[in-house]
Amino acid sequence: MKWQNLILCIVFFSLIFVSCNTNDKSKQKYLADIGDTIFNPSLDDAKFKFCDSSNVLHKRAYVKYTGGTKILENDIISQYKIKPEYRTFNGYFIVRFAVNCNDETGRFRWEVVNADFEETTPPKGLEKHIIDILKGLNKWNHPFYNKKDYDGYTYIIVKIENGNIVRS
Amino acid sequence: MKKTLITLLVFYTSISFSQGNCLLYPEGSNERKACRLAQTTSELKQGSRESQIRFDSIIKLNPNYAWAYFEKSVAYLKRGLVIEGFKLLNKAVELDARSHLTYRAYWYFQNRNYKMCINDLERYYALPKAYMFELTPGGEKDMRIILGLSYAKIGQFYKGIDAITNCINSYDSEDDIGFTDYHSLGVLYVLNEQYDLAIEALKKQLLINKDISDTYYYLGLAYKGKGNVNEANIWFNDALLKFKDPYRFVNINAGFRVYESDILKEINN
Repeated sequence: MKWQNLILCIVFFSLIFVSCNTNDKSKQKYLADIGDTIFNPSLDDAKFKFCDSSNVLHKRAYVKYTGGTKILENDIISQYKIKPEYRTFNGYFIVRFAVNCNDETGRFRWEVVNADFEETTPPKGLEKHIIDILKGLNKWNHPFYNKKDYDGYTYIIVKIENGNIVRS
Repeated sequence: MKKTLITLLVFYTSISFSQGNCLLYPEGSNERKACRLAQTTSELKQGSRESQIRFDSIIKLNPNYAWAYFEKSVAYLKRGLVIEGFKLLNKAVELDARSHLTYRAYWYFQNRNYKMCINDLERYYALPKAYMFELTPGGEKDMRIILGLSYAKIGQFYKGIDAITNCINSYDSEDDIGFTDYHSLGVLYVLNEQYDLAIEALKKQLLINKDISDTYYYLGLAYKGKGNVNEANIWFNDALLKFKDPYRFVNINAGFRVYESDILKEINN
């Protein structure tokens, strides 16, 4: 009887294990939505909170910067200080982040590509400088969509030629 | 003629953006199964986990299905995940360049990589079976206008003017001209300091669509370039009036956008 029980137990648990495993594989590969950004204590400010984390919009057109693109670019460029070692860099920073319903920004993630759009590593100082500037921008407006306030994701493209930021 | 063209374009778009004819694949084959499964994807929310898993199943059935890679790339590109997005789209182009080159060119344009946009479009139009009247995904511009704007963005104004002129000349009738084509041409003439030709093109634009505030601004710049300051000021003031019109026409993918501050700067000069 004991043996039978043990075998039954082993079969039972291995079944659960196997089924859990297959479920996890596809679920772990993707988040609920492409571009969702989960809190990471080593990267993110714990003070930044979504108002409704279950419904953060992926509608970039509804996340606006006060004054528009031109002012946004002015605000970035006016804070940018080029250094000699940045001058060899040609490429793009594509920086994603979220704006919560209180118009605060957080969950910054970014990709850097060269002029041929291949993944690349920029000069260390340049990367930190660009991201610090973007994190400091405080004229973002959260999405107002279908007469309701939302948290939303957006992204900025910073194009750099010979170390200089290029306007759009 | 315009109606025929629009019908054809709509038809063409639905063909080029659809999964293709599943009956072309042998009965019972994985290709046919993948194609049938592809027909179910429109019910899923773009970018959702479910849709990505569905695309993976389709690709697993038919790893050479260009459409599936293209369709899977869309959410990544729209959300700024360019590395994964272009990886998928490159695969689609590798498998079927004719169907997906212009879409990749469009995304290079969106990401302001004009050189790669030009590469893709030059390659596309050189294909023996290229469809001349290919439009942007939103349908507001011919891709040859995007090519012309891209040339201008890297300073090759003559090439840009040529691309747009050839595009406009390729239409059978004036009725087929896009809502922003002459505007784009006029802007390039202004940038190339060919002011008389700029004025001609921008005034033609006003006959087709007079609701883009930027058209008036560039007319102002053209007259200013000719040294006619009074005439220029009239157009700059018209530009400001149009800019404040809530029903003005917003020129998507303009390439060279004008802001209120640009207009004010000219008026106050």
